[in-house]
Amino acid sequence: MASKALKTTAVAVTAAALLLGATACGSKNDNTSNNTTNTGSTNAGTNTPAAENVTITFQNIYPDPETPSYKMLHTIVDQYQKDHPNVKIELDSLNTDQQKLKLKTQAASKEVPDITIVNPSAQMKPYVDAGLLAPLNDMLDQNGLKDTFQKGLLDSYSFDNNVYALPDGNNIEVVYYNKDLFTQAGITAPPTTFEDLVADVKALKAKNITPIAIGEKDSWTGSFLFMNVLLRTNGGPGFLQDVIDGKKTFKDPAFTDAVSSFQDLIQAKAFPDGATSVDYNTGGNLFKTGKAAMYIMGTWETGAIDASSVAGKVGVFKFPKVKGKGDPDQYMLAPGSAFAISANSKHLKETKDFLNYFMTEMPKKQFELKNAVGSGQIMTGDFKAAGYSDLAIAVLDLFKNVKGGDLAFDNTMKPAIAQAHLSSIQNMFVQKVDPANVANEHQSAYDANK
Amino acid sequence: MNVLKVPARTIAVFVLPCLILYIGLVFVPIVVAVYDSLLDWDSINKAKFIGFDNFKTMLFHDTNFWPSVRHTLGYAVFSMLEIPICLFVAALMNRYVRKANTLVSLYFVPVILSVVIIGQLWKTIYNPTDMGGMLNGILTSLGLDSWTHNWLTEPKIAMYCLYFVSLWQYFGYHLLIQYTGVQNIPTEVYEAAKIDGAEGFKADWYITYPMVVPIFKISIILAFIGSLQSFDLVWVMTGGGPAHATDTISTHMYNMSFLSFKYGYGSALATFLVFVCLVFTVFINFVFKKVEARYT
Repeated sequence: MASKALKTTAVAVTAAALLLGATACGSKNDNTSNNTTNTGSTNAGTNTPAAENVTITFQNIYPDPETPSYKMLHTIVDQYQKDHPNVKIELDSLNTDQQKLKLKTQAASKEVPDITIVNPSAQMKPYVDAGLLAPLNDMLDQNGLKDTFQKGLLDSYSFDNNVYALPDGNNIEVVYYNKDLFTQAGITAPPTTFEDLVADVKALKAKNITPIAIGEKDSWTGSFLFMNVLLRTNGGPGFLQDVIDGKKTFKDPAFTDAVSSFQDLIQAKAFPDGATSVDYNTGGNLFKTGKAAMYIMGTWETGAIDASSVAGKVGVFKFPKVKGKGDPDQYMLAPGSAFAISANSKHLKETKDFLNYFMTEMPKKQFELKNAVGSGQIMTGDFKAAGYSDLAIAVLDLFKNVKGGDLAFDNTMKPAIAQAHLSSIQNMFVQKVDPANVANEHQSAYDANK
Repeated sequence: MNVLKVPARTIAVFVLPCLILYIGLVFVPIVVAVYDSLLDWDSINKAKFIGFDNFKTMLFHDTNFWPSVRHTLGYAVFSMLEIPICLFVAALMNRYVRKANTLVSLYFVPVILSVVIIGQLWKTIYNPTDMGGMLNGILTSLGLDSWTHNWLTEPKIAMYCLYFVSLWQYFGYHLLIQYTGVQNIPTEVYEAAKIDGAEGFKADWYITYPMVVPIFKISIILAFIGSLQSFDLVWVMTGGGPAHATDTISTHMYNMSFLSFKYGYGSALATFLVFVCLVFTVFINFVFKKVEARYT
């Protein structure tokens, strides 16, 4: 009997151990977070500066140590931790897609990191509506931070007069071109009309040069280009807003014209074979390794192009008029991904203080690292003297004459409509389509998800 | 159970941890997903209860739903068709190859590799010629230029290219299962058959194949359920594109839940998937019960 009792106990103990083992990971996190808050509250009254230990989680999209952005992030964070020994900044560096997904999962369980990354307008609206992001107005008024941003830029991150996120950049879409390859194909000057562009594409193709680099597996790339065509055929910005306001539909000639013009470009074999299975980075590398003649992309690529093997051979021009319409000084605008603070952050004050410091330091560090083209904050300093390339200076010159423009499709429309749009545009890369069908696809996706 | 001569309580103690884990990690999420499928919800903001509207949209209005079902079932059919071939090869190996274990291990190598690596590998093989695609390169060097394709970006053939990679990857897996099954048949049975005059293919037909039916069933179910869930390979190689041409139910679900912010709708797709898995498992079990009853 005794041995039987022993056996039962042993069994029970083993089972209990198993159960504990299974739940251990779950409870561990709670403990640590409780500890930090506890130490915080006990020392709050005593006013000893180094005592209150705070950990701030900083989710970001600068995971690649080779990039200037990574260096910028790490220098600023290190400096801040040195100045504030009680504050620990925990970096959670992810690439863009992973970050978007992670944030969404975290948001579903209301556990947004202290600082995270959101995208402008329509893309961040669900998070704002759910009350997950803290308004940053008070923090913007400190140290004159607000005045460092370009005029109007913060509007893309504001809802009901509250700013909810601070952008890391403000870019426009331009056409980079490889001067050597243009010469090889006998093209003397950058095209000023879309029809010229299509002709140049044919000339390049005849010389066996890939005309335009693109990675269309990440379908936003094709959309970003297409939207530039639409910006022209519409004669100016605001087409999508007109659709939302009910003034226009996707069946409007401005839209179908854009589709057929874009199709002309695709049918002229402007893009590499199999473009839809190539991702954004690989697509861009076609240009940066000198295999493609043009790259139609946001100005954030300037630094990377200067760091690549085609540096010095690259020029830049404005996206041309289409069918005589549009103003080349209007651009696809790309207000950058932006830093937002969790409304439920346990250390809201410290986090705001850190982000304020971060945003104040960022322009200086970016300037030093020659990564300042497309900065969302006003830059002072002589770019030429600081050793910026001719390409960078040329891009900066384009910025001087920007007369407004449109935001990307997915920044304007709801995610579900944007997804339908993205695959509709991707489809144009693999088969010839009827513009009226594309318009219908868009309109029905819009109606279904209004 | 009585064979063990252990009190039910003791059994319960051992089973309980697993059962709790199973209920917590498998059963509860399924119930939650079924509930979520009745919501209009972006997973962040307030949910709205809309009854079966998601299912109505899914079955009657979603132009990408039925193609994704077709692609997924195609996956299942192809991977099930592969198993008889595996069994045939296993039977051959068992008879003619000495020390076949090494060979089985070799076939098994692709199974061990991560799907992401497999995907990247085959992506470079399928690439267009000017991006160094090996398959097109070989075809061209053989003078078969007209056979070259943009394998992964032509909507009509992209899906078959994905099927093939899956078949290639899991061939060794099913071969291993079948080979083990074939090996487990006692040699006495074959010796007895030999006396009765059945050898070679005849012995296979009357002994090997009927006797591995239970193992065959395991492979079939694994292949079927596995292919219904196919996601990772598709995601790495084509992302469901171009323009949904290679979407499976899983990638469509991912698109809806995480990219289109329609979590409720994504859950409806998940519910559909669970339902299909259940129905087919029951169906396959039923079919095999008949088959097994005939032979054993």
